[in-house]
Parts: sequence; C-alpha cells; structure tokens
Amino acid sequence: MSSQTQVEETLDLSKFFDNLWVTIVWDDPVNLMNYVTYVFIKLFGFSKEKAHELMMQVHTDGKAVVSSGTREEMERAVQQLHEHGLWATLQRDDHGRV
Amino acid sequence: MNMVYGQHYKEMIMGEFKGTAASGDLSVALSNDELHILINLVEQLLELLGERNFTHHYQSDDPFAQLMAATLGNIQSPIEQPDDPVLRRLLPNGYADPESAAEFRKYTEGSLRTLKQKHLLYLREQLVFPVDHELPKADILITDPTQWLIAINDLRIALAVRLEIDEDGYKKYELMSDSDPQKHLHAVYYWLGGIQENLISHL
Repeated sequence: MSSQTQVEETLDLSKFFDNLWVTIVWDDPVNLMNYVTYVFIKLFGFSKEKAHELMMQVHTDGKAVVSSGTREEMERAVQQLHEHGLWATLQRDDHGRV
Repeated sequence: MNMVYGQHYKEMIMGEFKGTAASGDLSVALSNDELHILINLVEQLLELLGERNFTHHYQSDDPFAQLMAATLGNIQSPIEQPDDPVLRRLLPNGYADPESAAEFRKYTEGSLRTLKQKHLLYLREQLVFPVDHELPKADILITDPTQWLIAINDLRIALAVRLEIDEDGYKKYELMSDSDPQKHLHAVYYWLGGIQENLISHL
C-alpha cells in the first residue's frame, strides 16, 4: 500500500466519524423495564433479546447508546423517544474518532 | 428504571384485561371510581401541556407551517426550558449543551407538545362511563395500545415528578401512614404502573 493511499484512507475515515452522531437513553426512576424494552423494539426494530440487553444497560450503567447515524437521524430518534416518555439526548460520537 | 414492585404489587388491582390486541378486542375493566381518577388526571395534564403552546391554534403536519408557527411564536430568542418540573421532564432537552438544546427545542417542542396532547385526548375519548350504571365496571376498549401506553406513561411521569418518587418510591409508599393524604396519590401512581405493565404483557 502506498503512503498516498494511506493518507487518503485516514482522511476519509475522519470525515466519516465527524458525521457520526449517537442517541443516548438515560435511566430514570419512572419508566418500567418492559415498557422501555417495548419502545426499543417498536422504534428501532431490535429483536426482543437486543432490546432487553440495551434496557438492562440503561438500568445498570445509567445510560446506553441505542442508535447511531447522521445528526438529522439522531434528532428524529430523540424526538420519538421523547414522545414515548424516555429521557434521551444526542451527541457527536467521540468514541469513533481516529 | 423501575423494577416490578414485588409480591405486594401483584396483590394490587391492576385492571382486568380481556381479548387480544391482534384481534382488535383488547379491553380493560375499570370501575366508575377508577374512570373518574383517570379522566381527572388526563384532563389536568392536558391543561398543563396546553400552556405556551404556540401550535395550539394552528395545527399542521406541514413542516414549513410548523417552522413558521415556531418562528412567529418566538421571534427574538430560542425557547427556554419550561419552568414547571413536570413539563421539564415531559419535554426534556435533546442536547446536554444548552445552546444546542435551546435551538433543538425551538423547532421541536411545539410538535412534541401536540403529540402528547393527541395521545392524552385519545385516551380521554376512550374513557366512557357505562350506560348501565348498575354495572360495577366498564369494559374500556383499547383500540390503539401504543397511544394508551404513552398516555398512561406520561401520567405516571407527571405524578412521579409531583410526588418526588425515586428508585425507593415503593418502599417509602409502604411505610406511609394511612392518614397521609398523599398516600392515595402514590397508590394511583402504582395502580397506573400495574395497568401499563399488564397491558404490555397482553400485546
């Protein structure tokens, strides 16, 4: 692999990650566990197992990343989660940075 | 998040469900007292959500009309978070950063309020007293379980904020004196949780 290709790949990756945003769901004392699982399945099309796993992550860690994509997609996801009464925010994905 | 409240929870009346969502005949049996409580809560929350609602007089699905309504309703500055703690929880910030949160709120809060009102109005319309007053309970048809769940959940959130219910809420409720006037409201909160939990298990 030439050094030129190497540079281009790095640039492409950094551009890609700059455009990556995540939706985070935060734990709260009101939402029922089976309701949160239900909402994850309904909004994101997760399997019951995946939805349950994410719900448990919110419950035990206090938060979980439930979706990633463009800023517009994540704003839409946050609006839908708020409609369903879940506490959610979006932010740039810092973990993906190169 | 809330765990199932244990054995005591199961002993509480959580609504008697009949039918299935798939066949479209899912219903819950509610007494007159229960209907009164639920109607009262729904109407109070609708009133609270109606405040500062600039899309109230002009509702439209058209994004441009919504943008116009949001802009005209707020020409000078981005919208601040609501003062009322219930509204702060029902209409939360979309970003941790205050500047982005205010900008996001400017374009989304109006439609979020409208959606929440829509779900509560749907529930309100379903809560009909039985024609035969001799009947101990009315079978309330649940035609749209998701709207039911969202509306019930919003009522629970509103009650939890007002009653300052946290993770240890149920333990505190059990220790409350029967003469405590707030105890009944706590009981309503857990009753609604039971209905919600039970409804999901019927889907």
